[in-house]
Amino acid sequence: MKIAVTGWAWRTPLGNTVEEGMKRLLAGERAAREHHHFDASTFECRVAAPISGKPAPTKQAKFLKRMALFGVEVAREALQSGTGTQVPGDRVGVFFGYGGLRAEWEDLMPALAQQHESGKNGWNQGFQLLHPFWILRHLSNNSHAIAAEELQLTGEGVTFAGANAGAQAVSGAIAALRAGVIDKALVVAHDSLIEPETLVAFSSIASLATQSVAELVASYDARGTGYVPGEAAAAIILERADAAGARALAYVEAADSAGGQEGEPGRDTIAHALARVARGGVLVDGAGRGTGQWDGEERAVVAEFVGAEAPLVCTLGSMGNVGSASALVQLISLTSQLRGGELAPVAGLKHQGSSPLRPVLTRTSSTARCGIALCTGAPGLVGVIRVELPEDFRR
Amino acid sequence: MSSAVISGVGVVSAFGVGSRIFFDSLAQGKSGVGPIRSFDARHFPVLVAGEVPVAGIDADFLKKELGESPGLDSFLAGWSEQGAFRDRKAAFALLAGVEAWRAARCGPAERSASVVLALGLEQALLQDFAACMEEGAISWKKVAAARPPISFRTEVDLSARLLTEWFDLKGPVVVNSSACAAGTMAVAQAAAMIDRGQASIVLCGGADSMVNPLGIGGMSRLGAPSPRADIDACRPFDRRRDGLVVGEGAAVFVVEAEEHARVRGITPLARVLGWATTQDGYRVTAPRPDGSCARKAMQLALKKAGLAPEQVQYINAHGTGTPLNDPAEARAIRDVFGAHADKIPVSSIKGAVGHLMAASGAIELAACLLAFERDLLPGTCNLKELDPDCPLAVIGPEPRAAKVDVVLSNSFGFGGQNASVILGRYS
Repeated sequence: MKIAVTGWAWRTPLGNTVEEGMKRLLAGERAAREHHHFDASTFECRVAAPISGKPAPTKQAKFLKRMALFGVEVAREALQSGTGTQVPGDRVGVFFGYGGLRAEWEDLMPALAQQHESGKNGWNQGFQLLHPFWILRHLSNNSHAIAAEELQLTGEGVTFAGANAGAQAVSGAIAALRAGVIDKALVVAHDSLIEPETLVAFSSIASLATQSVAELVASYDARGTGYVPGEAAAAIILERADAAGARALAYVEAADSAGGQEGEPGRDTIAHALARVARGGVLVDGAGRGTGQWDGEERAVVAEFVGAEAPLVCTLGSMGNVGSASALVQLISLTSQLRGGELAPVAGLKHQGSSPLRPVLTRTSSTARCGIALCTGAPGLVGVIRVELPEDFRR
Repeated sequence: MSSAVISGVGVVSAFGVGSRIFFDSLAQGKSGVGPIRSFDARHFPVLVAGEVPVAGIDADFLKKELGESPGLDSFLAGWSEQGAFRDRKAAFALLAGVEAWRAARCGPAERSASVVLALGLEQALLQDFAACMEEGAISWKKVAAARPPISFRTEVDLSARLLTEWFDLKGPVVVNSSACAAGTMAVAQAAAMIDRGQASIVLCGGADSMVNPLGIGGMSRLGAPSPRADIDACRPFDRRRDGLVVGEGAAVFVVEAEEHARVRGITPLARVLGWATTQDGYRVTAPRPDGSCARKAMQLALKKAGLAPEQVQYINAHGTGTPLNDPAEARAIRDVFGAHADKIPVSSIKGAVGHLMAASGAIELAACLLAFERDLLPGTCNLKELDPDCPLAVIGPEPRAAKVDVVLSNSFGFGGQNASVILGRYS
């Protein structure tokens, strides 16, 4: 049974609407800039790809942090973007993915500033100063709960966590639609890798770009040393293809795998996920982690499934690594490129290199009708999204 | 009906490490709730918890509990060096996972297993903050310069990493973070993966611990726990109930296809008959008062299992002991089961082990196995006077002897995520 994507919305480092983001992506822009969220001058990684602007003011801010607010915003917009027959709220499922709890320690300062290292007399030393809603603001499913409440959605619902949680949320939604327990799925993912505590955590398990903005090396450049941390919130609407009819933007499949490695996934783990959805003759939106050796291995293993001549784009090379939101951002980007018949260049890349697959170097016309997006993250996690344009779609 | 069966279980609870002591204690109507010992809680508004009775968890403790095993010393030493066991739930997940794996007689042939774990909040490692503070704020310059690198928190998937690495598992890893419904959902997701042919065997369940200054402090400020410092602080369905008791621990299961278990020569502990999830879409902080979405979760689970309401013989309730949850759940149960609700025994184990948050659904499914293992239904610890607003056949503090074949377990989480799973006796 085919599952169709019928609506979407995003907040990305390249734009807060899909139109703006795609325009800048196709123009070959890269969102990386000097880090300005905090004083990162002593950090090895001093570049970031942030979302521009702030969430709209809302009473929900008492329960939600910045990225979660973006998540609710895109959930609302995606649901509004999908037209068609009204589906009762109890037949709409909600599937959220997020990378992990970005605890944002500044929130804890009132509680922690005067604590003894031993924790002695902890309540009087500060824990009594915790905001009553602190725990709700850090609840693992708070953005999911607020979105379901605001949009009055009461069907099946699951919250996933981890680097490939976005892909797993898509898988979960597809399974529920196929099982017939819901008629429409709202899938949302949000993540930010640019907060200081996240950079600290990732610096020991991942490869972050260490150059200045002017010296940044492109994804799939053999000289690459790591990725630019980014952030995004994205949402899509999924329906069964027969219900979606002409509203189908693309048909979607998803798979994920895990290899147990501490850092980036190995060849076998990538192949395991690809084997479930990848077929030949497609456009590839690669993970492009920005380290020469890993990028080469990625190209080699993907080529085993799609052929060495498949064109390669890299949404995340332009937008930065957006963590668990990657799968949804790439799904929207890939589908938009297929529908528009134009492929975005791998930002900043000058040479295709000798590895398999053909990185796109300039904005290029394409007749491709299907594609796969590969996203990866620590520890050893892989998500793969496959999109295919409807048979009757004509550009 | 699903083809998924449960073939192994491991538990860490307020009663101690292992499923045996968990079942024995429930069978004797005991409570594991007591004064918090793992940190200085003297001035906190909440003084009791369903705390796993181990003050300090380290590699030596885990080695003693896990016994001799090739490679275990270096495995534990490596993770200990990284500070993994400072997050108590990671250690609980490892202990429960190993017990379940061994109980199901799994070995290298089962390395293709997937992992679906329900996990709660990342653990804030507060002890690391002191060296980085400067005039009441974190100095990120100090943080960046610290060697070895500072860990402010543990990763959300740390528990899953421990299990996949120790067993060298190669299947997908799913981390379910659906708050208090996550543990129940993890088992449901595992069974769904079996039915869809995506896996033949899955290690699944939940682990959580909020028995730490930040967890207890945050919950206290929210006002969810009972303010009383007595060991009967959590009184599900009781007229005088005034809040939950925070618990900690883990319950992990091996769920596999029935045929897979048969080929391996394993006699399952139970069948996973049906499941469903819904969302309240109401409020983050309160359940939908009419219980309508919780009701639907139970109804959809029954439909999935192909069962009529009258075929359910025991309900393990979410039963938090909070003023709002219990009547809403009672309403939902009555709506589903009608007059049959007068006869179905219902109980909650949260008075005995506390609310294990993300792991609560998992440990409560483990409690359901008591019905099949020993023909006993767990009691509702601390229930003295049934609240008329909870008109159900709630079992009192003592367990009840009964031979039942079909049991239902509910989890209705913070944020309004609901999950119901139905288990059946394996015969």
